[in-house]
Amino acid sequence: MIIIACVDDDMGMMFNHRRQSQDRILRERILEVTKGSKLWMNHYSAKQFSENCASQINVDENYLSEAGTGEYCFVEDCDISPYLQWVEKIILYRWNRRYPSDQTFSVDLVTNAWKLVHTEDFTGSSHEKITEEIYTR
Amino acid sequence: MKKSIRTLFPLLLAIGLFLSACSAESAYTLDSIPDYSDSPYVTVNNNLPYFSDADLKTTSFESYSDLDGLGRCGVAYACVSTDTMPTEERGSIGQIKPSGWQTVKYDSVDGKYLYNRCHLIGYQLTAENANEKNLITGTRYLNVDGMLPFENMVADYIKETGNHVLYRVTPIFDGNNLVASGVLMEAESVEDKGNGICFSVFCYNIQPGITIDYATGVSALATSNTAGSIESAAPKTASADTNTEKSIEQIYILNTNTHKFHYPSCSCVEDIKDSNKQTYTGSREDLIVQGYEPCGQCKP
Repeated sequence: MIIIACVDDDMGMMFNHRRQSQDRILRERILEVTKGSKLWMNHYSAKQFSENCASQINVDENYLSEAGTGEYCFVEDCDISPYLQWVEKIILYRWNRRYPSDQTFSVDLVTNAWKLVHTEDFTGSSHEKITEEIYTR
Repeated sequence: MKKSIRTLFPLLLAIGLFLSACSAESAYTLDSIPDYSDSPYVTVNNNLPYFSDADLKTTSFESYSDLDGLGRCGVAYACVSTDTMPTEERGSIGQIKPSGWQTVKYDSVDGKYLYNRCHLIGYQLTAENANEKNLITGTRYLNVDGMLPFENMVADYIKETGNHVLYRVTPIFDGNNLVASGVLMEAESVEDKGNGICFSVFCYNIQPGITIDYATGVSALATSNTAGSIESAAPKTASADTNTEKSIEQIYILNTNTHKFHYPSCSCVEDIKDSNKQTYTGSREDLIVQGYEPCGQCKP
C-alpha cells in the first residue's frame, strides 16, 4: 500500500483528536494523485472529503488491513507501524508550519532507510507553501 | 517553579470565576499544573476550554482587560474570524514596555533576546499592534515554542474554513510578580462546535537554561548564575523609553505566514502571497522580538 499523510515541522499529525490543519487544494491534489486507484481512509478522514465526488474513496475503519498492493491509504489519526512491512511508498505533505501535536507520524524515514525520490512545492488554498515528498524503500 | 505553580491554583480559580461571570455559566477547578519538564505546554481540563455553549456565537469581537495597579495585563478574549485578522501592514510594538520588561540577551537563546513583547492574542488573529493590554513580557520559548503553534493552527483553520473561533488567553501572575508564570490558552471553533479547533493549555513562561525572578524580570544563566547582557533597563512608562534597540531602522518585507523577514531585494519576496506580504519599517531586533526570523537567503 501507499501511505499518504500530512505533517507539520515536527512530524505532527493530530492534536487533541483533531487534525492539525486542512487545505482544499491539497485534497484536490490527493484525489488527482490517486485517480484510477483505490484511496482508503476511515470515517474521520472521509468527512474532510465530503464535498468531493470521488469514486476512488473507500471508507473503512480497518482500512490499513484492507488496502492491497498499489492502493492508497490516507492516514490522519492512525499509527501505521504495525502495517509497515506492507508499505511500498510514502507520500508526505508538509505544511511547513509548526502546530501543536500529540500524535506524530511514526515512521522514521531516516533510520528505516527510506529514500526521498521526489519533492515538489505548491500553494494551497490557505497554506502558502505545501511540500510534497515521495519516499520509496 | 513547582511550588510557585501550585500557588497559582487559587488565582486560576479566581480568574475562572471571574470569567464565569463574564461569559455565561462556565465554572472550573484546576487540579494541578505539573512542574515544567520538557514540553512548552501542558493540557488543562482534559484539553477542554471553559466556555459554555452560550458563549459560542458567530459574532466577532475583541476584549482586552485594563492593566491592573501593577501595570499587568489581564484576560484577552475574542471571537476570532476573518473579520478580525490583519488587513494592514504590521506596525511597531517596540514602544511598549510590559510589566517586568527587560531587554536582555543570551547567546543560548534563539534570536539572543530572552524576552519578547508577547501578544496574548497573536497579531495574526486580531491584528493588534502596540496595544499594551495585549502584550506581556514573555520568553522567546513561550512566544515561539509555546504560543505560536496554537496561533498558527487557529489562524490556518479560520483562513481555510471561514469559521469563527472563540479564543481566550489569560496571563497567570503569581502574587505581585511582574512577569507571568505562564498563560492559559483556550480556543473552540464555533460553527462546527469544536470539531475543528478545541484546546485548553497552559504555556510555561520559562526559558530553558535561564533562571528568572518573576517578581522583577531579572534573569541569569541557570548554571553559572551569570546575568545576561542588559541593553537597557526597563523604564516604568513608555514615554520614558530611550528605545535604544530601535535606533537602526530599515525597510523589511515580512511574510506573516512563515514569520520570516527579508530585504526588499530578496528573491524570495516575489514568491510571497500578497495577503501574507507586509512592508515593515523598523529595527531587525524588534522583528526578532516579535517572533520573526531572518530569511536564510538574504540574511537581513
